[in-house]
Amino acid sequence: MNTGVAVEALTVTLGAFRLDKIAFSLSRGTILVILGPNGSGKSVTLETIAGFHRADSGRVLIDGHDVTALPPERRNVGFVVQNFGLFPHLSVEQNITIGRRNNGDIPVPEQAKLPRGDTAALLGYFGVAHLARRMPSALSSGEKQRVALARAVAGAPQLFLFDEPFSALDTQTRAGLRDELLSFLRDLSIPAIFVTHDYSDAMALADAVIVLRDGTAVQSGAPSEIFRKPANPFVARFVGVENVLIGRVTEYSDGIVLVAIGDRVLRVAARCGAPSRERELAVAIRAEDVSIVATGVAASDQAANRLSGRIAEVRPLGALVMVTIDCGFPLKAYLLAPQARTLRLAGGSPVVVEISAEAIHLMRK
Amino acid sequence: MIRSAARNLLWRGSAPSRPGALYLVCWFLGSILIGFFVVPLIALVLSQTGTNLATVAAMPDVRASIALSIEGAFLSATLAAVVGVPLAYVLARTNFPGKAAVTALIDLPLAVPHTVAGIALLMVFGRHGVLGEPLQALVGLEFWGTLAGIVVAMMFVSAPFTVNAARIGFEAVDPRLEKIARTLGLSPWRTFLRITLPLARASVMTGVTLTYARSISEFGAVIILVYFPMSAPVMIYELFLRFGLDEAAGAAVLLLAVSLSLFLLLRMLAHANAGSREMR
Repeated sequence: MNTGVAVEALTVTLGAFRLDKIAFSLSRGTILVILGPNGSGKSVTLETIAGFHRADSGRVLIDGHDVTALPPERRNVGFVVQNFGLFPHLSVEQNITIGRRNNGDIPVPEQAKLPRGDTAALLGYFGVAHLARRMPSALSSGEKQRVALARAVAGAPQLFLFDEPFSALDTQTRAGLRDELLSFLRDLSIPAIFVTHDYSDAMALADAVIVLRDGTAVQSGAPSEIFRKPANPFVARFVGVENVLIGRVTEYSDGIVLVAIGDRVLRVAARCGAPSRERELAVAIRAEDVSIVATGVAASDQAANRLSGRIAEVRPLGALVMVTIDCGFPLKAYLLAPQARTLRLAGGSPVVVEISAEAIHLMRK
Repeated sequence: MIRSAARNLLWRGSAPSRPGALYLVCWFLGSILIGFFVVPLIALVLSQTGTNLATVAAMPDVRASIALSIEGAFLSATLAAVVGVPLAYVLARTNFPGKAAVTALIDLPLAVPHTVAGIALLMVFGRHGVLGEPLQALVGLEFWGTLAGIVVAMMFVSAPFTVNAARIGFEAVDPRLEKIARTLGLSPWRTFLRITLPLARASVMTGVTLTYARSISEFGAVIILVYFPMSAPVMIYELFLRFGLDEAAGAAVLLLAVSLSLFLLLRMLAHANAGSREMR
């Protein structure tokens, strides 16, 4: 593989922190999201790829070239940080031309089909030509993102690195900028690594996701896989699984595993063979997969679990309502607000909940 | 009008939580300090008539002493910037064993009585000092009774202002901006000159201005190392001893006018454009 980026067994020690054998590859035009809490090593990974930390071992290959020993200014990476990091003392145009190489041309990547060496064309492509003389403090978040991208592109990057660019923005602005970023990245077809602690960024942007914890990759795969089938309770909680419980395998037959949680037993569709009996496992159930049904209605499918319980808490969240049901263990369910009104849910009232056997995910504890 | 201005002064907070009494007490106590600064200087200025000032200003040795002080202070501030700004940068950006000790050491000259500093400097830079003697022998640079001696004494007591202000300025520059500059192809040197230094400029200039101001006003360390030629503070002291308050006050007002106007000019230069340079 000669195009794209490969990171091989990258190990970095920074004081007491250690990034341990991080490895991945991404091809042209794809977006990798590194997801993890603060201190998990996501920024260290990014900064090591950019050339700011010396790797103890491992390699970074960009378009087939080993750049592990090169300083940042010779790696051809575009770096975008929180709040986009425009140089506050330089105008938009100066921000973009500061990376101008000796020949006076802005080397624009061919795949973006931009006229070569033309600041105006670059600004025009990103829709910020009218802002050329503005100072960064006079720009909106959206304009800052476009200028930051234009500046990174002016450096002719073979790889984009994004270090939580949206983490200081409100949810609405964030969603808008994310969509815009995605369309620019698709158009430019430059591979990108995006670091975030917000799984919604990962869901929106990623072609592939790596989840980091304490300097180690705990899971990697397609975003839907991480979201639906987290590898362990840490990943499950991190990607927003509301119900993470501990259960014990009691029986296995015909592709159905019986898992006891307290004195209740759940039927779970087995995905990869029979787990050994009496083994303790973690159980992940997304709140949107828990439905509250009227008592007396027949189960929607044979394999579904039906549990009776009492409502412990009703918390309105705007369009959704989060209901916590005590059915021997606490179980959270999402309902649409009108649905919750129809059911007249109130604390203490008895309910029956239904969870499909397919919707329950078993993990190592 | 005056009442509403006074209200603005006292009540900057939102209406329901006006801490009026607190601000009133703070303003009252603060006014005492402002008066304490201003009244003696006004009294000094008012003590002089125009003719008296003109007479003093016409005295060649008074003019020479003021010129010498300005020259010394500019050299002191420039040298402090040349060696102090790099020190401030490494203190802001790097960690090393003994950093706390180095940081404390920088403030040391501020704690040493200036006559003590003068005596210590005399031992190093005097005619038989550990540096003074070889420097004179090798390159003919003499500190005892020369401008070089004045500069050394001024710089010793005033360079900490440059280092401290510049360090605060560098610390306020987001290191990620430097990282971005590197990924855009700028070398570490170019990154420092194009990004870090311009962003820290206001702080650096404030430090250099304070160093200049402290240098021009230095008396204790200078008088021990260099009595002749006389810098302005030494000249004023000499006039006071020989002719009394009236003669000294005239020269004092001249020095005050010159040093204050240069100080204000430097401050204006330091803060020019600073308004449009706020972060983000």
